[in-house]
Amino acid sequence: MLTKRLIFALLYDSGSFMLSRNFRLQKIGDLNWLEDNYGFSNVGYQIDELVVVDVSRQNRDTAKFCEDLKQLTRDCFAPISAGGGIKTLEHARELLRSGADKVIINSALHDQPELVENLASEFGRQCIVASVDTQKIDNSYRVFKHNGTVETAHSLDEFLLRCAGLPVGEIYLTSIDRDGTSNGLDFEMLKHVAHIKDLPLIIKGGIGNADHIIAGLSDNRVDAVATAHLLNFMGNGLARARELAIGGGINLPRF
Amino acid sequence: MANNEVVIIDFGMGNLWSVASAIKFLGKIPIITEDLSKISESETLILPGVGSFRRAMNTIRNKSIDKAIFDSLQNPKSKLLGICLGMQLLGTSSTEHGLTEGLGLVQNEVVRLANSEINPIKIPHVGFNKVQMPRDSKLFEQISIDAYFYFVHSYAMQILNDSSKYTITTYGHQFVAAIESGQVFGTQFHPEKSQKNGLKVLENFLR
Repeated sequence: MLTKRLIFALLYDSGSFMLSRNFRLQKIGDLNWLEDNYGFSNVGYQIDELVVVDVSRQNRDTAKFCEDLKQLTRDCFAPISAGGGIKTLEHARELLRSGADKVIINSALHDQPELVENLASEFGRQCIVASVDTQKIDNSYRVFKHNGTVETAHSLDEFLLRCAGLPVGEIYLTSIDRDGTSNGLDFEMLKHVAHIKDLPLIIKGGIGNADHIIAGLSDNRVDAVATAHLLNFMGNGLARARELAIGGGINLPRF
Repeated sequence: MANNEVVIIDFGMGNLWSVASAIKFLGKIPIITEDLSKISESETLILPGVGSFRRAMNTIRNKSIDKAIFDSLQNPKSKLLGICLGMQLLGTSSTEHGLTEGLGLVQNEVVRLANSEINPIKIPHVGFNKVQMPRDSKLFEQISIDAYFYFVHSYAMQILNDSSKYTITTYGHQFVAAIESGQVFGTQFHPEKSQKNGLKVLENFLR
């Protein structure tokens, strides 16, 4: 039986890994810090998947990001999705040559739908993760692009319907309101996911502890939960949270 | 070619870095190349791949990589492992983006994962799943039946009655998760992304 997934997401900005709160970024540490506090390159590390996104707001250096991605994934034999500012097929290909199995697309879903088509015909739709950032404004879930800085004209319902018509393999849905708060996942936004019920769904934003993970993975609309909180699960925190989730009846793999 | 070298065939589509890292981790030397003479002289080939079957076959044929693979397999000591799309390419054809002929090293057609009203599944099949391996499998020697492997795909080979040894996974319906047929091996899952169990599958192939 296909298991659910607990995903760790890393936000990268010019060589540093960032803590995000409501999409405002704070620098935490570099690759060495990450290795010291998590050790993803330890073969025994307990993780279902890693997401690595280049969230650099200016002067994005793709070559350096790819080098750091290679460093990060050396001896890390777990699935990796990578993205951040992908505007061309070649950019996506570089990520796939640097350790990624899947590429994450966000702003291009809005600005370059033809890129999504090209990526799918080159790499297959299973390779494309559609990242959608949403925030509740005046009682309605709205969709944002460009690292959450630009509000689009779309409601979440309407935009997910559009995503369902694109050749993408997964939906990666982040609540901007809950991001970095550790207050628990936003289940209200799940009222708007009916249009994408045939696609695997990852939700993110608000995980602070194992109970939040269990609550997310217990929801039958949800295939995976992700946390990008760099400080909540340091050391063996993720492994312990996994054990608690498995103990709580969640179908996660043991490695 | 030196015995501890493993040729990873580069046709521009695939997570080559991860496969190379795994090979290095297992103490062998990965050679990522599209060089036809390197491929045809190699005794250990890996055909990785992330992408569309049609695009991949077009590239492989245009660059004559297919002939180099066949040349290598003329040597009875040679062996080939296809990973994910790389395994599908070993088959006779795929229906992805229109019917496309494959390498034909395994007599099996690649079709879209079957969905049904009664047993609805999300496609692609993404995540860790278990496999049922045949009793005398080389690839799964010393691997527990409870082991999980990482899948990310929308198409797969079907279960047929032939002389190949199939490892089976169920997602909605059954499909081929791995194949062993003489010199030719394939895994629909990503061994290089399946942690210790995946590394063990690669080690078994390299043995």
